[in-house]
Amino acid sequence: MIEAKNVIKKYGQVTALDDFTVDIPKGKIGILGPNGAGKSTFVKIALGLIESTSGEITVLGENLDKNSIEIRKKIGYMPEHDCIPNKMTGVEFLIEMGQVSGLDYQTATQRTHEILGHLRMGEEKYRLIEEYSGGMRQKIKLAQGLVHGPELMFLDEPTSGLDPNARQEMLETINGLAEISNTNVLLSTHILQDVETVCDYVIIVNNGKLQIKENVKELVKRQTDTIQIRVGENSDEFISILKQNNNKRNIEITERWIRIPYKNEESFKEIISAAASAKCQLYEMERIAMTMDNIYLEVVN
Amino acid sequence: MKNDAKIADKFKDFKPNLSDRKNIILGMGLRGFEKLFSLKNKSILFLIGIVYLWTFAFYLLLGEDSYPCNTVSEELKTCTHLNFYGDLQYGGTRIFLVLIAAVASSGLIANDLTDKSIHLYLSRPISRIDYLIARIIPIFLLMLTITLIPNLVVFISQFSKSGLNVDFLSSNMWTFSNLILQAIFYSISYSIIGITFSAAINRESLASAGFFGSVYGVSLIVEIFYGLMSEMDIENSEYILLLSVIHFLDIISYKIFNVDYFVTIFGSPEIIEFPLSIIIGLYVLLFSSFILLVNYIISRMEVTK
Repeated sequence: MIEAKNVIKKYGQVTALDDFTVDIPKGKIGILGPNGAGKSTFVKIALGLIESTSGEITVLGENLDKNSIEIRKKIGYMPEHDCIPNKMTGVEFLIEMGQVSGLDYQTATQRTHEILGHLRMGEEKYRLIEEYSGGMRQKIKLAQGLVHGPELMFLDEPTSGLDPNARQEMLETINGLAEISNTNVLLSTHILQDVETVCDYVIIVNNGKLQIKENVKELVKRQTDTIQIRVGENSDEFISILKQNNNKRNIEITERWIRIPYKNEESFKEIISAAASAKCQLYEMERIAMTMDNIYLEVVN
Repeated sequence: MKNDAKIADKFKDFKPNLSDRKNIILGMGLRGFEKLFSLKNKSILFLIGIVYLWTFAFYLLLGEDSYPCNTVSEELKTCTHLNFYGDLQYGGTRIFLVLIAAVASSGLIANDLTDKSIHLYLSRPISRIDYLIARIIPIFLLMLTITLIPNLVVFISQFSKSGLNVDFLSSNMWTFSNLILQAIFYSISYSIIGITFSAAINRESLASAGFFGSVYGVSLIVEIFYGLMSEMDIENSEYILLLSVIHFLDIISYKIFNVDYFVTIFGSPEIIEFPLSIIIGLYVLLFSSFILLVNYIISRMEVTK
């Protein structure tokens, strides 16, 4: 869906994207990262709103440098910040956005009412936007991005500033609309649960670099139940015994930790036995449930 | 249920036939023009009404005998279409034209910048320049309705007074094309100035006050200074007139009609000459700077949100 090769974006001395390379598949993809990680910059570059300092991006099979205007016909964008005019009604605004996307008046009107119907906006759609609640404003922001039937929708922090109920409703709406309109979604956020709820794939970005790209379900499934160990000397021999015992199972080794998939209570006995055989001191051993939070924090920190 | 399924399928299979950039820009421009003319903009409609009443009173009822240009003295000539853009005391509508341009153009970009909807426009299949053109079209068309149309009405009225004589048309062919050129020139110039103020000041009311003050207010001040400097016999004092947009545009307008430009200082008219190359060069420089400035302001908005 989006292919970025060695993309660099600098704002003066600050490097927002640092040799960023990623191949984003079709589906519902989350870009996760702390504030200032480079998520919004990447979205804006992919949208053709700003130019990268160097590197190459292909969106929906077309080169962004050569064809950014045409690409935008296939893209919808929901910015993070409030950006809708207060002095128009929801319907007027969506029709205008439809027409600016290239729809004729009749199609834009019809599509506006269909989308607002799906978003469960009743008579309030005829009210001025300045009278809307935060949740309704977000819905209008989402709807304007979908009005021209894009193949790909960029959502920049769509749940930002919403209360828990409105947030849940927005996530369900995104899920529902993406399914029903056959639209690919690129969700940029710093909220982990949003990605877990909506996305098939997750990309974690930090300091302008790609940290991880993984299928959300696989990632959670693979790392949900783990025994985390910290050992003293002779760790190499300990690890090789563990590898023999845990044939075909992933053993993750970091500088500080060794992680072994949890099978059952026997797993602890196997570890102790391996440590005894290798004459390796066990400092810590605990069963941890790896959530997206753990993964995220580990990657980001 | 069956009906719902059909609606869902239609929504899912939505494959729109999107129009190209030219149509999008034209559509945006025409919708903007329609909005300026709507009943919501009572002040603009009121001012347009005054311009037409003025035209009716001064140019149709009182009508000028020697059309289009009249010799004032051995050296000076004044033309109906130049008088139309002049000051009130000479039957001109300048103050209303500047006022309409200031009021109508002030919100065109300022509102998009204030509510930040400019990001949504620029995420559509149009470039920044396309967006600017789309925002200039409404004010340009509005200005044409108060510059070109009244002048065409006067022209047609003179043609009718001549007894629909074909000779009138052939002898005034250049007047006809010049008045069109002059109207386009004033309209595009005021539109660009208006868009610049709208983007730079970012608040509708302030932008319109800034436009009026900088264009009309400065012209009055410059004229006074020029008068004083002339009295003191300061050399090249006429160049101070180039600081006033109104005088600057008038100089080009007089050139269009191939008439000597004159300024009335303390009751007496004075011919002022500027080399054409300087005037054209300055115009291109000034107005392309305005466009570049607006483009820069918008590009900064994109980066900083």
